[in-house]
Amino acid sequence: MTSTAKRFAVSYVFLVFLPVLGLLGVLRQGRSLKAPMSVDGQWKLQFDPAQLAALPCGKALASVEEPVLAISQSGERFTMTTSGGLATASSGVIQDTTLNASLQPSESTGHESGCDRQLTLTAKLDPTANPKSLSGMLSSKDCLACAPVQFRAVREAQAEHSQVKHGAGGR
Amino acid sequence: MPNLFTLVLQITVILAVCRVAGSLFRKFHQPRVVGEMFAGVLLGPSLMGWIAPQFSAYLFPPSSLGFLNALSQIGVVVFMFLVGLGINPKELKKHGHAAVLTSHVSITAPFVLAAFLSFYLYPKLSDDSVTFISLALFLGAAMSVTAFPVLARILQERDWLGSRLGTVAIASAAVDDVTGWCILAYIVVLTRAAHSASPMYLTIGGIIGFALLMIYGVQRLLLGFEKSYREKGGLSENAMALMLLLVLCAALCTEWLGLHLLFGAFLMGAIMPKEHHFVRYVLDRFETITVTLLLPLFFAFTGLRTNIGLVKGQEMWMYCGLIVLVATVGKLGGSTIAARLTTMPLREAAGLGTLMNTRGLMELVILDIGLDIKVISPALFSMMVLMALITTFMATPLLDVICPDRLVWEGTERALKWQKPAVPQLDLDATGGSAA
Repeated sequence: MTSTAKRFAVSYVFLVFLPVLGLLGVLRQGRSLKAPMSVDGQWKLQFDPAQLAALPCGKALASVEEPVLAISQSGERFTMTTSGGLATASSGVIQDTTLNASLQPSESTGHESGCDRQLTLTAKLDPTANPKSLSGMLSSKDCLACAPVQFRAVREAQAEHSQVKHGAGGR
Repeated sequence: MPNLFTLVLQITVILAVCRVAGSLFRKFHQPRVVGEMFAGVLLGPSLMGWIAPQFSAYLFPPSSLGFLNALSQIGVVVFMFLVGLGINPKELKKHGHAAVLTSHVSITAPFVLAAFLSFYLYPKLSDDSVTFISLALFLGAAMSVTAFPVLARILQERDWLGSRLGTVAIASAAVDDVTGWCILAYIVVLTRAAHSASPMYLTIGGIIGFALLMIYGVQRLLLGFEKSYREKGGLSENAMALMLLLVLCAALCTEWLGLHLLFGAFLMGAIMPKEHHFVRYVLDRFETITVTLLLPLFFAFTGLRTNIGLVKGQEMWMYCGLIVLVATVGKLGGSTIAARLTTMPLREAAGLGTLMNTRGLMELVILDIGLDIKVISPALFSMMVLMALITTFMATPLLDVICPDRLVWEGTERALKWQKPAVPQLDLDATGGSAA
């Protein structure tokens, strides 16, 4: 074996074989890692429309026949939009099974009186339900007179291929 | 039915913005394609959707994006065929130890580092619908890819195609891409099988059977194209139409088998005859419409899915920085060390590492697939797009500093006799005719 060939063989073992073994080890170890629960997708919303209409900015969403909450998730963080155009650039965080999000009123609902107030969404995920479901409440921190609105949401079957959700970087 | 006015308006704006951005980047000695990639991001929510949301919503209403996507995907199918056409696995054999070691290390180094990085990123940027293995393998494949056409373009502009550095870079990039696509195929099958009714062994068996049929059956029939080209000095319209039909059929087969359209197109290109003039002729016929019309649509569509706004806060920018760092250290560092160990001088080896670190359009194609099959989240997608842009953008200025022409040709004279590469490459700066 020439010195060049020897050098090549040694380099190959150290730079290719050993790293590949390391890779297998990492892949094995990584199996035990836990990622946040998936909430990505479309959720069918169920709530009392009369209660929701009483909430600032709630009229637009309350008037929608089959309201949908679209969540685009990136790890612990997510962005969401509602079919009634209730909120724009809403973002939140998921910790274990609890979702917390703040909803900024969108331009289309901004003309409603008192609609400059931020809404807060708090929900609990039921991961054992099939399909997954959320139950929680929408409230307005700045409006002491407004009663929180309870809601339930059921995740719709996910399509394999995504469509772009404009402005949300959605998948 | 698509709203034709909206679609034509979208195409007009996209082409105009891409051409302007491409020309601007050319002034800074960057390949036009880098400018077009930036243009795509600028047209999306990261800039236009942010500063002019109403105009953006008017120009790209969500309901119209399906048609834009379909057109852009056809462009990428043809592009992948052309990339496959430019790859000649036999090239690797000519360049001995340097190319073998460099190509293999430039895959394993970013792959291993990406797997380590996934350890950290999985709990932060992924969710439990994605397995750790899928994410780690995907990030590995995405970070180990090299933008074969961009690399070829840089070499061509510097007149380095015949140098030792150029030939080793081309051969290594070819191996990287073939390996990267094989790993990606595995991930796609793995992910899609989880949602598919048919068992995984059927999908894998079907794909292997299809690949064998293509390599040992169809490849021989394709020699007829080259024969016809040699006899007539060109190919008839019918022959070109037949070639395009075969590309589309191969793409449909891989999609039907549960893989992805692009794999079939790439494989069809890879098994095409590799005679220099024939390849150049086919590239010339396809590249103008693909590079000037269809690929900008793909850049725009990718840009519409890239939302840099999702990379918000110190923590997210730190993840983004880590991704760029790991990708660069793995690819540039790994290739440099490997080339250095094969007795290539340090600065030339660093030049090779820099070339291998260009990811460009190939990276965007892979990332798009990753987002489609939901292996990566929108925020991770945006970070990876930024990584692709940064690593591609840095290639030209880095080469100017660390690897001047003189060094490249001195090294070549010492090590290799001068030779031209056997296979011409896709010209991503096409302006209506061949520049090669």
